[in-house]
Amino acid sequence: MIGTRTIGELTEGVSIAATALLQNRLRSMLTTLGMVIGVMTVIAIVAIVQGLNASFATQISSFGAHTLYVSKWKWLNLSDDWWKMRNRQPIGKKELLAVQHESKLALAIAPLCGAMATVGHADHELTGVSINGTDEQYLATSGVEVGAGRFLVETDVEHDRYVAVLGAEVVDGVFPGESADKIVGQKILIGGHSFHVIGLLNRRGRFLGQSMDNNVLVPYTTFGPIFGSKRSWTLAVTSRPDDLNALDNELTGILRRVRNVPPSKDDDFTINRQEQFLRVYNQLTGALYGVAIGVGLITLIVGGIGIMNIMLVAVHERTREIGVRRALGARRRTILFQFVLESAMVALVGGGLGTLLGLAVAQLVALLSPLAAATTWSATALGFGFSAVVGLLFGSWPAWRAANLDPVEALRYE
Amino acid sequence: MTSATDEPLIEFADIVRTYDVGVEKVHALDGVSFRILRGQYVAIIGQSGSGKSTLLNVLGCLDTPTSGTYRLNGTDVQTLSDDARSDLRNREIGFVFQTFQLLARSTALANVELPLIYRGTSRRERKQLAQQALANVGLENRMHHRPNELSGGQRQRVAIARALVGRPSLLLADEPTGNLDSATGEEIIRLFDELHRAGNTILLVTHEPRLAAHAQRAIRLSDGKVVADGSGAEVAAASAPRSVGT
Repeated sequence: MIGTRTIGELTEGVSIAATALLQNRLRSMLTTLGMVIGVMTVIAIVAIVQGLNASFATQISSFGAHTLYVSKWKWLNLSDDWWKMRNRQPIGKKELLAVQHESKLALAIAPLCGAMATVGHADHELTGVSINGTDEQYLATSGVEVGAGRFLVETDVEHDRYVAVLGAEVVDGVFPGESADKIVGQKILIGGHSFHVIGLLNRRGRFLGQSMDNNVLVPYTTFGPIFGSKRSWTLAVTSRPDDLNALDNELTGILRRVRNVPPSKDDDFTINRQEQFLRVYNQLTGALYGVAIGVGLITLIVGGIGIMNIMLVAVHERTREIGVRRALGARRRTILFQFVLESAMVALVGGGLGTLLGLAVAQLVALLSPLAAATTWSATALGFGFSAVVGLLFGSWPAWRAANLDPVEALRYE
Repeated sequence: MTSATDEPLIEFADIVRTYDVGVEKVHALDGVSFRILRGQYVAIIGQSGSGKSTLLNVLGCLDTPTSGTYRLNGTDVQTLSDDARSDLRNREIGFVFQTFQLLARSTALANVELPLIYRGTSRRERKQLAQQALANVGLENRMHHRPNELSGGQRQRVAIARALVGRPSLLLADEPTGNLDSATGEEIIRLFDELHRAGNTILLVTHEPRLAAHAQRAIRLSDGKVVADGSGAEVAAASAPRSVGT
């Protein structure tokens, strides 16, 4: 009996709520507007942040994870000590040799120097390609994979060979439509110099909106004479994961000595980590999340107050109906349930619309900008959950008032 | 309603209901006692302010007396929780109001089904019983009309069907003809007569002695006290001259 009563009251409640919502369409729409905007904002931002997170996570793991980057420059530097760093002595062969000889923790050490140049083959030319001089250990420090041919080897570096390993985008641009094994062995022009293609890298995708495939790797010994040997290098040094902090200390000692930094002076180099990206990234998305949640909460509260207001009006309008229902045997909690259900439905309609719109906005942003957007269940559930909670929260007081009306007064109400 | 016990359906013993109006206490009911047997057709008459509305609310378990005992079909009403009183109203009492009190947005059928929803009757049985109840008051062709598509008399008959659909032990009518023209009012009164003949216990609250004359028995209230209790015709006749004046 309790079962059929609950089911009966539930279906009755839903039908009352649906009827009320449909008969006051404009009012319901205006009421839910606050919810729609609130949920839309939260969902759109969450979807974009989640999309970014997903692409960032895959990208960051594609880098060598346990690698330190010794450089003249501090990465992602936002302070004003740019001038100080600019005046530092470049890092070069001396430092590379010192680290190679003295570091006990380093598993792999690769120099990195870079320049932009034009790459060409036959009729095809690609400008603005990043040319990196490095050595065979780059394979271990960077996490790149060779898809065809081979990577640089020690003898390429020793003998200053004119050999090149191409990134996927360079392959697309310079050898369109050619098969990988045909490309290996061909000649290309890099900044007007002829190089042998010895290998092709697997595609890596984009990082922070920049392609990581638009590059060519050559021996650093070949790079220097062509692009200038005064350029400051970055030394990529890999260790076992547990040794990363020890390696940091070790490298600091080696670098300070080899560069003759007096004990009273600060380091004239910076040891960078991938984590710096992660930290700055987390700060950015954390702030974005914070703003989203703040804005979302405020609009949801405003939306909730709108719902509460309209529910108070509904209770007021239906005072006599409440009296009739009570006279016919509806318990207090039945009335309470009926109005809570109604406000939850208003909120859910708003939340549903807001979720749909939010996801649409996120997809639109993803389409029109380099940002990514994820359509995740968690975001959708969040939208619905939020709105249901708001509906229940802000609907409960009007519903409580409805449930506690004196049936005699309610029946007499004009 | 076919109970064979000798216990009265309603037992009112020294019922007092006071309201605080500012610093004053108003005795709406001031020691009312009476018994009503099963199958009786009783009119409660009195002028406005006599306490008959309060009496109706207490009888209908919508209001609790300040003191005194009220037994309805063997249950001590004043000791019940709000939920229990809701359930008691649902089971034992069928209300008919002066202003019909139908839900405007629901069809006649849905209105009549309402008490059965709160009782937990299955959907199919609910529909069947509601259709039967509407047919009993001659509205089998108006089941899917909304109240605003029905005449006053039809609306009141929907309300009567709603009051009777759950087979309550008491039909409680509050000025059922008050909002109807006299011909339609007659029609409703004839319906009450029929319902009485069919075995229903009816309690009719009215200020019109003419209606009270239809009842087997009439109780006259004045200033919250029972001032007359006798056959419908007698009490009505005694009241008639006074009510003309109002």
